[in-house]
Amino acid sequence: MKDERTLAFLNLYAILGCLPLLCELDTEAQSLISDKNISLGLAIKDGRAATLRFSHGKCSIEQQLTDCDIKLPFSTYAKFNGMINGTVTPIPSKGFTKISFLTKQFTQLTDILSAYLQPEEGKPQNADFLRTRTLLMFHLITEAIAQLGNEDAISRSSASYITDGAIKLSIAGGPSAAIVARNHHLSALHAEPESYTAYMEFCDLDLALQLFEGQVNSVACVGMGQVRIGGMISQVDNLNRILDRVAMYLG
Amino acid sequence: MSHIYTHDKSREQFLRAAKVIPSGIYGHQGPAEGCYVPVDAFPLFSQRAQGSYFWDVDGNRYIDYMCAYGPNILGYNDPDVDAAAAAQRKLGDCVTAPNTKMIDFAELLVDTVHCADWAFFAKNGNDVTTLAIMAARAYTHRKKIIFFKGYYHGISPWTQKIDYAGVIEEDVMHNIYVDWNNYEQLAEVFAKHKDEIACVIAQPYMHGNFMDNELPQPDFWQKVRQLCTEHDTVLVIDDVRAGFRLDLAGSDHYFGFEADLICFCKALANGYNVSALCGKNFLKNTISSMSYTGSYWLSAVPFAAGIACIEKMKRLNIPQLLIEKGNILKQGLLDAGSKYGFDLHVSGAPSLFYLRIADDPTLMLHQEWIAECVRRGVFFTNHHNHFINAALSEEDIAQTIAIAEEAFALLRKRHPQE
Repeated sequence: MKDERTLAFLNLYAILGCLPLLCELDTEAQSLISDKNISLGLAIKDGRAATLRFSHGKCSIEQQLTDCDIKLPFSTYAKFNGMINGTVTPIPSKGFTKISFLTKQFTQLTDILSAYLQPEEGKPQNADFLRTRTLLMFHLITEAIAQLGNEDAISRSSASYITDGAIKLSIAGGPSAAIVARNHHLSALHAEPESYTAYMEFCDLDLALQLFEGQVNSVACVGMGQVRIGGMISQVDNLNRILDRVAMYLG
Repeated sequence: MSHIYTHDKSREQFLRAAKVIPSGIYGHQGPAEGCYVPVDAFPLFSQRAQGSYFWDVDGNRYIDYMCAYGPNILGYNDPDVDAAAAAQRKLGDCVTAPNTKMIDFAELLVDTVHCADWAFFAKNGNDVTTLAIMAARAYTHRKKIIFFKGYYHGISPWTQKIDYAGVIEEDVMHNIYVDWNNYEQLAEVFAKHKDEIACVIAQPYMHGNFMDNELPQPDFWQKVRQLCTEHDTVLVIDDVRAGFRLDLAGSDHYFGFEADLICFCKALANGYNVSALCGKNFLKNTISSMSYTGSYWLSAVPFAAGIACIEKMKRLNIPQLLIEKGNILKQGLLDAGSKYGFDLHVSGAPSLFYLRIADDPTLMLHQEWIAECVRRGVFFTNHHNHFINAALSEEDIAQTIAIAEEAFALLRKRHPQE
């Protein structure tokens, strides 16, 4: 069962957290913000917030509310989730004169992101599209593991068995990331960690995407040599249990 | 210099298996749960086994320190056990009316196992740990079960955790987890849940994975026993893993206390498929009242094998024999590690030793060493306790130590001391 609060954290930090990478990888997304210098604050009633900054073709995210040009407040997690799934139209509390960014470029950006994360069935997908989709999914999943590990009740149980350390996640010939555990609190590192206590490496982008899409299973792939694991395997094991929950939340 | 094994045929067979079997090889004997790091260092399928060895499908011979994860206690294909099983097979195995071998086996267990007044037979360890829990709940009319963290009691939903696939909250909502060897914590749980605790279930000592195995502190079991008695809580010992490798009378007897229920499997019949729950008289009627059975549970061949196995284990005084062999191996491995500057830890009982190179807390160095041992014909695992069997010879132990030393030397070359 999905919990609205956890889903809101996943939407706020993992889904919208993909926008900076999207603007790096997708030229259309980049061009939408090439002449923009604007920031968007998203704030949920309990204080959870994020600030997205768009500056001359680049995007960044902070996991807190800082100075922003446009502010979107949400009274409940469900309303924030509603904005993400398109059933709620947010009303800004600040930045009325800049609202066109919200209705035009920001909406177009999230549409492009949705096209990568939830591609239309049957629509042809070229190699560039698949590569970008895989890299975005990798980023999303890494962040989602950390968010669920801290917020989802069942995933917190998994995190309670993860000892301190960094679990490196990587795609051979591609990006690396890590889930860092400290006192059973998880955080995502979207870069190669300096050191790590366990690792899980996918053999290539194709295999990573198949895993992310649920077409293949990681346990089976370990036997096939397509997924390499090592180090404190109990960390990887518990991380995989959270990954199952991520798939449920994203499904 | 040892020959380095390759596993091309194992890979071929695995690819074949993966097409028709979920994950190719599922469970603890598969490459994922078996922690085969790296996977190509390990054999995936065996061709045959004899004594203390198995041969993989590539023809490589291994000195086997996993013993099929415990069942092989006398040596693979032990002639006495196999002869008893073969003789029974000619008479009948799975028959409408059970064979009296069942009674013979139960009598032998009652005479052998210190706390046993009766015996109930099934197939796997999980069958009897589940029966033990159900019996405790039926007898006490209570719901809660206390576990020690790091436990393994099988694969039924009640043994798993809330985040395991297919397990629902209701399956584990009455489970309480406490730290091993922490009597005060256990006593607090008893105080908090007065008249609610059906049973405490535990292995005789902590043989969890990825951690040094930990024996009970002095008087720990005696205090736990007393606490259970005072609160009318059933004390269940899961001796599936350690059973008969510490004490033929049961591992509770070895540690100087008496369980109410004790579970056996693995070494009970040297690989023939049978498990047993033994218990005290006060629980016998409860067990009689329960609906609990299985298609093959009263098959006679495993009973005959079990009888022959226990009789031979008695003749050999097997716990002492295995502990002696384990101690020789332990010292040899420690010396080999020390020679190359590695801090090898050997924990748990010598007959069920657990290995860990403590120089690297991530276990990557340890995994590298284990892989090099396996590539040279010594089948160790990097995450689980090992098992000694009676067929393991002095030559096998000497060869094991030589291979371990060669692997240590290679590791030191790759990782020079600073």
